[in-house]
Amino acid sequence: MSDTTVDTDKRTWLIATGCAGAVGGAAVAVPFISAFSPSERAKAAGAAVEVDITAIKPGQKLTVEWRGKPVWIVRRTPEQLESLKKVEGQLADPESKRNPAELTPDYARNQARSIKPEFFVGVGICSHLGCSPSDKFQMGPQTSLPDDWQGGFFCPCHGSTFDMAGRVYKNKPAPDNLEVPPHMYLSDTRLLIGEDKKA
Amino acid sequence: MAEFKDISPDAPVADKALNWVDNRFPLSKLFKEHMSEYYAPKNFNFFYFFGVLSMLVLVIQIVTGVFLVMHYKPDADSAFASVEYIMRDVPWGWLIRYMHSTGASAFFVVVYLHMFRGLIYGSYRKPRELVWLFGCAIFLALMGEAFMGYLLPWGQMSYWGAQVIVNLFSAIPLIGPDLALLIRGDYVVGDATLNRFFSFHVIAVPLVLLGLVVAHIIALHEVGSNNPDGVEIKAQKDANGIPLDGIPFHPYYSVHDLMGIMGFLLVFCAIIFFAPEFGGYFLEYNNFIPADPLKTPLHIAPVWYFTPYYSMLRAITGEMMYALVLCVLAAGYLISTRANTNLSKAVIIGGAAALVVSMLAIDAKFWGVVVMGGAVVILFFLPWLDHCEVKSIRYRPDWHKYLYVIFVINFFVLGYLGIQPPSAIGERVSQLGSLYYFGFFLLMPWWSRLGQTKPVPDRVNFTAH
Amino acid sequence: MKKLIFSVVLAFAASFSSHAATDGIAWDKAPDRLNDLGALQNGAKLFVNYCLNCHSASYMRFNRLSDIGLTEQQIKDNLLFTTDKVGETMRVTMDPKQAKEWFGGNPPDLTLIARSRSGPGGSGVDYIYTYLRTYYRDDTKPTGWNNLAFPNAGMPHVLWELQGQRSPVFEEIQSHGNPVQVLKGWTQVTPGKLSSAQYDSDVADLVNYMQWMSDPTQGTRVRVGVWVMLYLLVFFFIAWRLNAAYWKDIR
Repeated sequence: MSDTTVDTDKRTWLIATGCAGAVGGAAVAVPFISAFSPSERAKAAGAAVEVDITAIKPGQKLTVEWRGKPVWIVRRTPEQLESLKKVEGQLADPESKRNPAELTPDYARNQARSIKPEFFVGVGICSHLGCSPSDKFQMGPQTSLPDDWQGGFFCPCHGSTFDMAGRVYKNKPAPDNLEVPPHMYLSDTRLLIGEDKKA
Repeated sequence: MAEFKDISPDAPVADKALNWVDNRFPLSKLFKEHMSEYYAPKNFNFFYFFGVLSMLVLVIQIVTGVFLVMHYKPDADSAFASVEYIMRDVPWGWLIRYMHSTGASAFFVVVYLHMFRGLIYGSYRKPRELVWLFGCAIFLALMGEAFMGYLLPWGQMSYWGAQVIVNLFSAIPLIGPDLALLIRGDYVVGDATLNRFFSFHVIAVPLVLLGLVVAHIIALHEVGSNNPDGVEIKAQKDANGIPLDGIPFHPYYSVHDLMGIMGFLLVFCAIIFFAPEFGGYFLEYNNFIPADPLKTPLHIAPVWYFTPYYSMLRAITGEMMYALVLCVLAAGYLISTRANTNLSKAVIIGGAAALVVSMLAIDAKFWGVVVMGGAVVILFFLPWLDHCEVKSIRYRPDWHKYLYVIFVINFFVLGYLGIQPPSAIGERVSQLGSLYYFGFFLLMPWWSRLGQTKPVPDRVNFTAH
Repeated sequence: MKKLIFSVVLAFAASFSSHAATDGIAWDKAPDRLNDLGALQNGAKLFVNYCLNCHSASYMRFNRLSDIGLTEQQIKDNLLFTTDKVGETMRVTMDPKQAKEWFGGNPPDLTLIARSRSGPGGSGVDYIYTYLRTYYRDDTKPTGWNNLAFPNAGMPHVLWELQGQRSPVFEEIQSHGNPVQVLKGWTQVTPGKLSSAQYDSDVADLVNYMQWMSDPTQGTRVRVGVWVMLYLLVFFFIAWRLNAAYWKDIR
């Protein structure tokens, strides 16, 4: 501890070792942490799903699976599209302003929340705690629904309700509208769920 | 709080934090005892790297093992596919897999060299017998761990290697077949076997290994390390009670071991990145075929690190039993001549006779298993077999050194023969090799006393770097 | 004494000679085209067209073919035979029972065949290269074909249209005092679509593709490995100097 040249010698090499070790440590961490991320198999399973929409009749709903989630394709009738205007006063977020990046892509930021007004594409998972709401397309009074019910979805777990564009009603446990997944039309009859033109 | 150490409130935060911990946990005390004030001999040579390298490989195996288990499926129908999933679909999975497979072989290279150091420098001698015993237990546990781990990829070699070795247990008289059934959990190696081997390989044996490694190091630190000259450094201490030939482990051996680790990693990574199969010795070609219970590969051999013992197993044929019977009779006679009372003479002769009868009555296959197990178990007795005046090979008579050289060559020859398919010459050579291996140890009480030892110095041989 | 042990160990390592344990003829060395993307792509095309009818490659994903320079669109247009999703694996739906009836056994999965067939006679690629080029007509066999590298193979010569039909020519030589049949060459019985050299080249492409398929990360592995070794050499140097800096205190 008295000879300064010995000290600086050790110090130099200690610093060099420290730096080299830090670089090496970071480099070694990369493969291990990457091993946590989705594998090729998970990515393949989560790939976009192509759907043929010709068989869906007006007023009917088709469910497909994408990334383990149910995705609904609802062919709305003219009355159902009309109802979207009527219920706006009762909705928590009629213009889908909350969390747009997560829930409503650009092409769905319209009243019908869809690319083609006739077809609603939405993830069938309630924004409260993740149950899958049931269809309640029939208008009028029914159990657990108000007398002026205009058609939509009802979540059996905690009673949240959504309209025919997946928008959540006020004063319900669910805070957000249903998610509209990335999607695009490959043709008039083929819908691709999971990818859109931006991706 | 009366026993708490106080520290000035003006002291730096780091010191205060350390003081807080030290008042509740012997952190600084442990560091001093085992690192900065643990005095190790200054004349450690290349062979002294292998202890810390063994620890390093243990850590590598555990860490890579944790990540492999995230993706591996211990089910006979999906195990093989899950390994390919790791190799192809998991990001960097191939690297983690190769690290683990190369690590398994590296573990044995490093441990064999570590044991060899103990053998030639007499590190097993008093007062370090317990260090050696814990070490032998680690070796046994390691062999079990490797054997069970090898079944997990569920390839042809995995399956048939396990089938053969578990069937060996059925050679044990009376309890054998039931024991084999209990190990397998089924009539042949199958899903039940895979699942229990998975449990043992992933958690049971690693916990045992960790416990044994801790005990091994505590036992070592209690008595202090040996050195290539076999000189007890604690016999020459300075005024402060520090061995004259001792240097604090930290920082001298921490930096020394860091260099050793980097050297090891150079070789380790060269293999992982450029030759992970290592000519079919580290990753056997046949294991890239999924296990097929109906088709045995033409040539089953255990992985390279088991082959010396496998050779000895195969060497015990019906013929060999006669040679062994002669050995037992000769041993019985020789030992009885050294017995003092007629009673003890009678016991020895009687015991030898009983052993000979059982050797002739029970199938050679069983004795092969006994010999293979015995070859590992005999290591436990080494501290009591070695009766040489000096510890280290450096001060032994020259011809002792040749015995050790032949031992090493013999071990390699046995290993090589274990890989080859059986042959007439191979059988003879491995029989001679097995006799040499056992003779080396069993006759050691006699040969280690012979010859003129060289005078052992008081101080170690050391040249400044 | 340590030098003695070392030299003996090295001598042993060198004497690990190969023993021919195969029951077929010695294997030819396959040309190494692992770095030739064009060859690998041609091999992929041959594999998908000729092999995937009976054999699966169930660990190989179609979209992974982008690693050998193909775009996803090219894969979808030209190679996606057994499925319609490019992320799926090359699985084939041959019924194992029927396969046993027709061929005597289930056609094995080929993903790892180039790794698993390595042996003392050469690498797995060498074996497959030899195998696909040593078929000959044999009317005593149920498929009408036999093979010199794998005698009595249950697989017919799927590439026969490309190679044509050939017959081996043997000559007898004396080896250790015993007469031994040695392969002298081949006669072309009926021509194939390709010349002998073209066929051999196509087979080389195919087996190199299979070698790549058995270990698709080998390219990345070697590339990363070079950097790792450079880093370790530098770190070793630093650790060595650090060690020297401390040990010069020790007398």
